[in-house]
Amino acid sequence: MFTEQFNQEFEAIRGQLKSYILRITASVADTEDLVQDTYLKGVEKLDSFREESSLKTWIFTIASNLAKDTLRAKKRWTENVTDICKEAAMSNQAFFQEAMHIRMTSPQGQFEIREHIAFCFTCISKSLPLEQQICLLLKEVYEFKVHEIAQIIATTEAMVKYYLHTGRSKMVQIFEGRCALINKEGVCHQCSELNGIFNPKQKLQEALVKIEMAKEAQKADREHLFNLRMQVVRGIDPFESDAAALQLHHLEHNRVVMERYLEKNAE
Amino acid sequence: MTSNTNIQNGKATTVKTTFSRETSVGIEIKADAPIVWALLTNASDYPRWNSTVISIEGDIASGGQIRLKSTLDPKRTFKLRIKTFEPERKMAWGDGQGNRVYTLTDRGNGMLSFYMHEKIGGLMFPLYAKYIPPFDQSFEQFAADLKREAEIIANTKN
Repeated sequence: MFTEQFNQEFEAIRGQLKSYILRITASVADTEDLVQDTYLKGVEKLDSFREESSLKTWIFTIASNLAKDTLRAKKRWTENVTDICKEAAMSNQAFFQEAMHIRMTSPQGQFEIREHIAFCFTCISKSLPLEQQICLLLKEVYEFKVHEIAQIIATTEAMVKYYLHTGRSKMVQIFEGRCALINKEGVCHQCSELNGIFNPKQKLQEALVKIEMAKEAQKADREHLFNLRMQVVRGIDPFESDAAALQLHHLEHNRVVMERYLEKNAE
Repeated sequence: MTSNTNIQNGKATTVKTTFSRETSVGIEIKADAPIVWALLTNASDYPRWNSTVISIEGDIASGGQIRLKSTLDPKRTFKLRIKTFEPERKMAWGDGQGNRVYTLTDRGNGMLSFYMHEKIGGLMFPLYAKYIPPFDQSFEQFAADLKREAEIIANTKN
């Protein structure tokens, strides 16, 4: 394997790699570092690549091993992360001022419900045990096969299936209970609330009708709604989208809030 | 002594004596042992798939202790110790009054035999035996839930 070939593949998947690491660590700074570390480690170990998997799977293996070892990946959030972070944001005037500034000045400062759905998935998937979150991301978002995931996280296909099923079941259950976009009784209305703040002139129903998951909410079963949610997540690059600056600012806020919350509750 | 070689196809049986009661159930499951083992040893996940369990707190690991609430007696919390822990083969938990043993046997061709056996008893058993509800229905439900969940997982798309 030549370094040039490796470089080409690495550049081709850099965007996916970045968003994958971001979704595990919830930290922009850690993501930048880990992408760089993955590249350096890949170059260093290129001689040991035996083509037993695709180069993409091999690179994701390196990235997963590096990411799993970070403290921020090990820290698991709680299912009600959006409630905790909303409460913290409400008492933090600077957060909304900064967000509004990004909204008004950044070319990546749009607020779109679709983007917020992907953001919300990142936050809530951090409440799963790490193996379950990694398997779910690799399968549902990055579309790896079960045998490739087994290679990436060095386990059996049976265990990957177990992690996938349990992780997915928990996420389906959490969104069913929380997300007002798919359940009228859902307790979380953050998408519509934030849309009202950042897009005051937009009619919510007009925005929702563009989102298949919200449109199908009344007639589709919860598994199908989760598939539609994953379709939204797959379609969004959290670093490159029109809402990237706003959502990354929000993610940084949530990470800091959750780190404080976990620290406080560990005492 | 009940033998786990005679799989009962999900039907529980109970044998009573003056000083003990033994209930067992066996079922064939089309799934790999690691999947069934993962389901049996992930304490917090039980209520999601097992309709006989309200909650299990603690670690299902060698020497671990758990607090189990069962639908059989919802007001009571059973404090149990993990007494046997042989990954993907055998696990047992229990207290001073009884033990429950789970056994997995690979039958080949992706088939697995699951066997669950519980013996309760002792010298004082005759005094409280009438207060302990029958286990048969709960055992059958446990085995059916385990089979359903394990086979769904085993059939996850590759």
